[in-house]
Amino acid sequence: MVAVDIIFAPIFLSALVYFMTKGAQHIAKYIALGWFVILFFIAFNWYNQLPADGGFLFLGNYLSVPQFGFELTLQIDALSVAMLLLTAALLILVVFTSWNEKKPAAYFSLLIMFSGPIFGVFMTTNVLWFFMFWELTLVPMLFLVGIWGAEERVYAAVKFFLYTHVFAMFMFVGFFLLYKQTGYWDLTLIKETALATPALIWWLMFLGFAAKLPVFPFHTWLPDAHVQAPSSISVLLAGVLLKMGAYGLIRFTVELMPVTTLQFAKWMLIIGLITTLYAGFLAIYERHIKKMVAYSSISHMGLVVVAISTMTYDGLSAALFEMIGHALVISPLFLIAGWLHHQTHTWYMDEMGGIMKKAPYAAAIFILAGMAALGLPGTMGFVGELTIIISAVKAYGWWIAVIALAGLISAGYIIWAVRRAIHGPMSPIVEKTAFTMSLPEKFALGIYAFLIVYFGINPQPIFDLANKAFSFFGGM
Amino acid sequence: MSFIVLIAAGLLVPVFYRSNIFIAKMIAVAAFIVAAYFIYTGQSLNSVFSYFVMDDATRLMEFVLLATLAAVSLSLTGFERPLIAQMLFLAGASLAFLETNNFFMYIVLFEVIAIISYILVANIRNFYNAEGAIKAFIAGAVASGIILFGFALFSFTTDSFNYTDMNVSGKFTLIAVAIMLAGIFYKLTVVPMHGWAADAYSQVNHAAAAILSGVIKSVVLVATFKAFYKFLVVYPLATVLIFSFFAILTMTLANFMALWQKRISKILAYSSIAHSGYALIPFAAVASVYSYSGILYYAIAYIFMQTSVFLILNDLRRELGVKYLEDIKGLYKKAPLHSLIFTVQLFSLAGIPLLAGFLSKAVAFYAGVDAGLWWIVLIALLNSALAVGYYVWIIKHIYFDEPNNNVTINMSQGSLIGQLILLAGTVYFGIVASDVFSATISL
Repeated sequence: MVAVDIIFAPIFLSALVYFMTKGAQHIAKYIALGWFVILFFIAFNWYNQLPADGGFLFLGNYLSVPQFGFELTLQIDALSVAMLLLTAALLILVVFTSWNEKKPAAYFSLLIMFSGPIFGVFMTTNVLWFFMFWELTLVPMLFLVGIWGAEERVYAAVKFFLYTHVFAMFMFVGFFLLYKQTGYWDLTLIKETALATPALIWWLMFLGFAAKLPVFPFHTWLPDAHVQAPSSISVLLAGVLLKMGAYGLIRFTVELMPVTTLQFAKWMLIIGLITTLYAGFLAIYERHIKKMVAYSSISHMGLVVVAISTMTYDGLSAALFEMIGHALVISPLFLIAGWLHHQTHTWYMDEMGGIMKKAPYAAAIFILAGMAALGLPGTMGFVGELTIIISAVKAYGWWIAVIALAGLISAGYIIWAVRRAIHGPMSPIVEKTAFTMSLPEKFALGIYAFLIVYFGINPQPIFDLANKAFSFFGGM
Repeated sequence: MSFIVLIAAGLLVPVFYRSNIFIAKMIAVAAFIVAAYFIYTGQSLNSVFSYFVMDDATRLMEFVLLATLAAVSLSLTGFERPLIAQMLFLAGASLAFLETNNFFMYIVLFEVIAIISYILVANIRNFYNAEGAIKAFIAGAVASGIILFGFALFSFTTDSFNYTDMNVSGKFTLIAVAIMLAGIFYKLTVVPMHGWAADAYSQVNHAAAAILSGVIKSVVLVATFKAFYKFLVVYPLATVLIFSFFAILTMTLANFMALWQKRISKILAYSSIAHSGYALIPFAAVASVYSYSGILYYAIAYIFMQTSVFLILNDLRRELGVKYLEDIKGLYKKAPLHSLIFTVQLFSLAGIPLLAGFLSKAVAFYAGVDAGLWWIVLIALLNSALAVGYYVWIIKHIYFDEPNNNVTINMSQGSLIGQLILLAGTVYFGIVASDVFSATISL
């Protein structure tokens, strides 16, 4: 299969899947599952083919417009492959966790459609095509949140769409200026030219990525979108779409304009710190279980920004690890929060209480993922946060150890949430609820738990990828 | 030859209006195809008269125009049959308008197209149609007067009207050009000359509105750019000031007005006005090599998507009586195919990638950045992000709300083929940009 088909086939064939499976809707999920497994193996195959010394694996040039220097260049390096593997894995798990979703034909066709542009984002090095795929991921998400979401879904979906779209426009102007100054749309070629006035371009692009991540003043879309989205889609929003922001930050600011990034690194650091602490405090304050998880997600992405701002090999590796860790840790939290709402019909933790007695499996996984989120040794969260703190201390000195506070704050909200919702006296609402969880959901949650512990004990595969991805920084 | 075929077909089709509308439509489509073939083989007005030239960009625009008009004629019903002959005449006049390299011919053909547009909107069935038609007519007449006044001033200072050897630096030229532009801005619905369009586009028959707002505007955009190119290059400062001022004014006002509207046709009318604002950016960026590509791409993308949305609205209005946003609640259940195509075309208007709306905006706006107007482009992009608000609001009514009743409708075969032609155009030019560039910029 040609690389370009992997991007375009799902976009155009998803409508076909919808109309074909309209009569027998349950078939759609098997088609989706099969396609995502294929995607995972393709990504894994690329992982094996990666050049050993870092650098790009070239996949092809398409749709060339020589007059505009514009073509769909597909090439991937270790960073992209890490993101592709993560995306494919999450998509597979999302099929399991949305096994009994309403209107499956439409739902799974939209998921299939989503897989095209999201792969495109991580595969292309052409800036304009990157932007096109970046924008295109919003369309299936708009429908997935707007149709299958909770009570306030329409508001959340439209806000999410508009917010990220508006900020993308700043990035778009930044890309335009990039082309005007260098004469190339292609990332690898731009890298070889000297940029004249990169400060403006840097800020324009940073604004676009920052809103996607999201960081402090631009984060308000996230609690709405992630809370109102169906839980499986929250997983994709947190696990993949936020990663697009971090990926863009690494690709387009750190790799492309290292000098300018270094110049503004302290701003990134300050923004990252504020995001981490502010979102952490908001999470402590929150009674709403899914909002608490959403703020925790923002808080962790703040840590990623801090790690990127160090501009060192260690920092970037830690950022990559935390990106993957965050995706795997936050997903079960979202899933169980959504599942609890679905079962008990309440969002509020103080109305839950005693879940452990009624639904021990879900409660145990919630606690495990929660412990990973607060950085318990033996889980992915620990490795991520420890490496981030070490790299930040190396880069900025001892005072930066205040970010260990973030761990403390997350311990606060996680443990309190566990205390209120999972343990504690059994509330009347929980008392009269009969908790049921389908087998595919149990299976997916088990996989998440396994991965959290596996990479917590054996983080080396991810750091190997990071080693290849950031070899331009000198390597370890 | 293509011109003769189109005019002859235009004279022939009214014979079949009463007896068989299908034959009339097929004659029209055949005429468009034959005309396209003659353009492809290089025979057009330029082989007969010296003041017409054919180049790659013109040819591309002409193919797009003929395809669009064929799509429109396929989706017409008996009720709109007078449009078939009018479209054939319009196609003939537009071919000449696009090919001309003579300023005098440009003015004459501009008037011809204006007159055809008055006839197009004159398909009057009720009071609202009449109001829209009268407004279009009076505004057009005022515009004609202004253009002719400017043209009279200009004709004093030049010996030749040929684009290549016009005298563009005469004493009154700048004033004359400004006056002519003021008249042309009426046709391009630039704020503050837009007042008629909001009513005319939304109140005349929607099929006529599709041609008026989609086809005619695109053709005027491309031909005007070619006609005024030399003036714009000679007066760079005035060009940037005038066009960026009107661009920002137009898009901002139109977008805010569109956000207020409850009638779908009004939203689409204001969206069309806003698009005129975006399309002025390549004019302001005439210093860039990409400005011609930008305007051509914009016109091509715009002709497909705008025509398509108005045609779908025409279908919905006829079958379901859709007028207001409430009427399309849960449309995906009542008319799945209409909903899907409508949504795709709205996304294209909103500038979502892999659709022509995005790449055309990218190229047109890049021309602006290339000419050093990046802050205007930023305003335009934020405006287009604002515009997403009302496009998504329409889509929200279609897909996120539940229907009021259970009426279901199907798309007629002609309509479906027409819409698929337009959709193919939107998607093709959303992915493949090389045609436009190779037509406008030689390596």
